[in-house]
Amino acid sequence: MTEKRLLITGPNGAGKTNLLEAIELLGSLRSHRCSRDSDLIHWNQERALLRALSCEDETLELELRRKGGRQAKRNEKVLSRQFDLIGPLRCVGFSSLDLELVRGQPALRRQWLDRVVQQLEPIYSDLISRYSRLLRQRSQLWRRWRNKPANERDAILDAFDLQMALVSTRIHRRRSRALRHLQPLVAHWQKMISNGKEKLELVYYPGSKLKGEEAEEPWRLDIQDQLLDQRLDEERLGSCRVGPHRDEVGLLLNGLEARRFASSGQQRTLILSLKLAELDLVEQMSGLPPILLLDDVLAELDAKRQLLLLEVAGEKHQCIVTATHLDAFQGEWMRESQLLETKSFSSKGSVG
Amino acid sequence: MPGIGPRTAQRLALHLLRQPEERVRSFADAMLAAKSQVGQCQKCFHLSADPICEICRNEGRDSEFLCVVADSRDLLALERTKEFKGLYHVLGGLISPMDGVGPEILNVSSLVKRVDADDVDEVILALTPSVEGDTTSLYLARLLKPFTKVSRIAYGLPVGGELEYADEVTLTRALEGRQTLG
Ligand SMILES: [Zn+2]
Repeated sequence: MTEKRLLITGPNGAGKTNLLEAIELLGSLRSHRCSRDSDLIHWNQERALLRALSCEDETLELELRRKGGRQAKRNEKVLSRQFDLIGPLRCVGFSSLDLELVRGQPALRRQWLDRVVQQLEPIYSDLISRYSRLLRQRSQLWRRWRNKPANERDAILDAFDLQMALVSTRIHRRRSRALRHLQPLVAHWQKMISNGKEKLELVYYPGSKLKGEEAEEPWRLDIQDQLLDQRLDEERLGSCRVGPHRDEVGLLLNGLEARRFASSGQQRTLILSLKLAELDLVEQMSGLPPILLLDDVLAELDAKRQLLLLEVAGEKHQCIVTATHLDAFQGEWMRESQLLETKSFSSKGSVG
Repeated sequence: MPGIGPRTAQRLALHLLRQPEERVRSFADAMLAAKSQVGQCQKCFHLSADPICEICRNEGRDSEFLCVVADSRDLLALERTKEFKGLYHVLGGLISPMDGVGPEILNVSSLVKRVDADDVDEVILALTPSVEGDTTSLYLARLLKPFTKVSRIAYGLPVGGELEYADEVTLTRALEGRQTLG
C-alpha cells in the first residue's frame, strides 16, 4: 500500500472478502466468518498459505493445514506460539456481519468483545480456545457417559470444574476490563454522532455470579461452587449453566436496551460508535493506529455516517475497503487512495 | 508413514528396491518379528519384547519414584534426558470424553494397585498441559493422594506442545521444577 486507502471493487465472488479475511487472519489469527480452518482451505488443497510483508520489511506467514493445524512464521522463523504473530499487523474489521451486533444473538457481542480483548492481549486466544475445548469435552461427557455410575462421572466433572473455574475467572476479568476501557470511548462517539442527544452505556452481564471486587482467588473458588451447584440442572438439560459462554454485553441507549428499543438508524450509529471506540482502544494500548478493514459495509452507511467515518479514521488509519461498485464511496473516500479492481473468474469479462 | 513426506518416501522405496533380496527379506522379517513379539510390559505398560521391560528389571533404578506418562513416546523422550532414575507407568492415553476415552480403558486401576502395593514415595505426573492432560492429572492426583505424594512436572513447554517435541533441556528443567498437586 502506497496510499492511505486501498479501495477494492468487483462483483460478488471475485475474492474481495477473501483478501480482507486473509489480512484479518494474519493480524488477529481469527476470521469473523469461519471458525474452522478447514473452511478456509480450498476444497481440493491440503493447505493454505497467507503471507504479508510490512514496510519495516517484516514477513508474517500463517500456514493453515488440514492435518497438523497451523504454523506461524515471522521473518522465516517458525514461532512456537502462534499468537507471537500478533502485533505488527493490528487491524480492526468492520463488515456487514457487524450490522447484526445490536440485534443479533449474544454470541455475536461476545465474539466482538473477544476480538477487542485479543488485540489488546494476544495470549487471550489461548484462554478462549481452552475454554471452548473444556465446554466441548464437558458436553460430550454428558452425551456419552450418561449411564456411567455417578461417582465416576463426578470425578471427571470435578477435574473439569477446577480447570473451568480458573479459565472462566480469567476470561470474565478480561472481558469486564475491556468493557470498562471501551465505555468512555463508546459514550464519547455516540454523543458526538448524535449531536449530544444519545447516551450509550455498555453493561457486562457475566454468565457466572461475580461477587465483590475483581480478584482471582475468591472468584475462582466461587465459580467452582457455582459449577458444582448447577450439576443437577446440567444433567437434566445437557449443557453447563455457568460460565463466560453465557455472558451478555448489554447496550443501553439513554438507559434502554438498544436491542429492543433503538431504531435502525440509532443501531447503525451505535455500531459505528462501537467500531470507532475499538479503533481508539487498540491504538491506545498498542501505540499505533490499527488498519481499518471495511468489508462491504460502506454501502450500508448513509452519506453522513460515511463522512464521519472518513473524517475520524481516514486520516490516521490505513483503510482497506471493499465494495461492489465505486459509487458506494461517498465524498472524499477516493482521495489519496489506490484502486484495485477484482474480476470474477466465472464472469465473461471485465466489469465496468 | 508419519513424518515422512512424499519425496523421502520415494527415496526410501527406491533404496529398498535396489537392495539384494536377502537384505529386504531380513528387513521384512525384522518388522514382522517386532510386530508379533513386542507387547507391553506387565508392570509399566511400556513397549517391551519381554513380559517385564528393561527399565522395570533394572535394579539400579529408584523404585520409590514413579513417573506417569501418556504413552511410550513420552517415556522415551524422558529417558533421553537421562535425568530421571525412577520407574514409569504408561497410561495408554488421556481422558477425553469426545474420543470416548475414560479412565476404565486406560491403565489407571493398575496404577492405583501398583502405588498401593509398592513403596512409592512420589508419583510424578508428566502429562502434556492440554485440557485432556490436565483433566487426567487432576483426576489421578485425587485418586492417588491417599497413598502417596503426587507432583506434576512444571512445564515451560509451549502451550499445546507435545512432550515428544520438547528438547532435553526443557524436560530436565521441568523435572527439577515439579509442583505438588492437591
Ligand atoms: Zn516396565
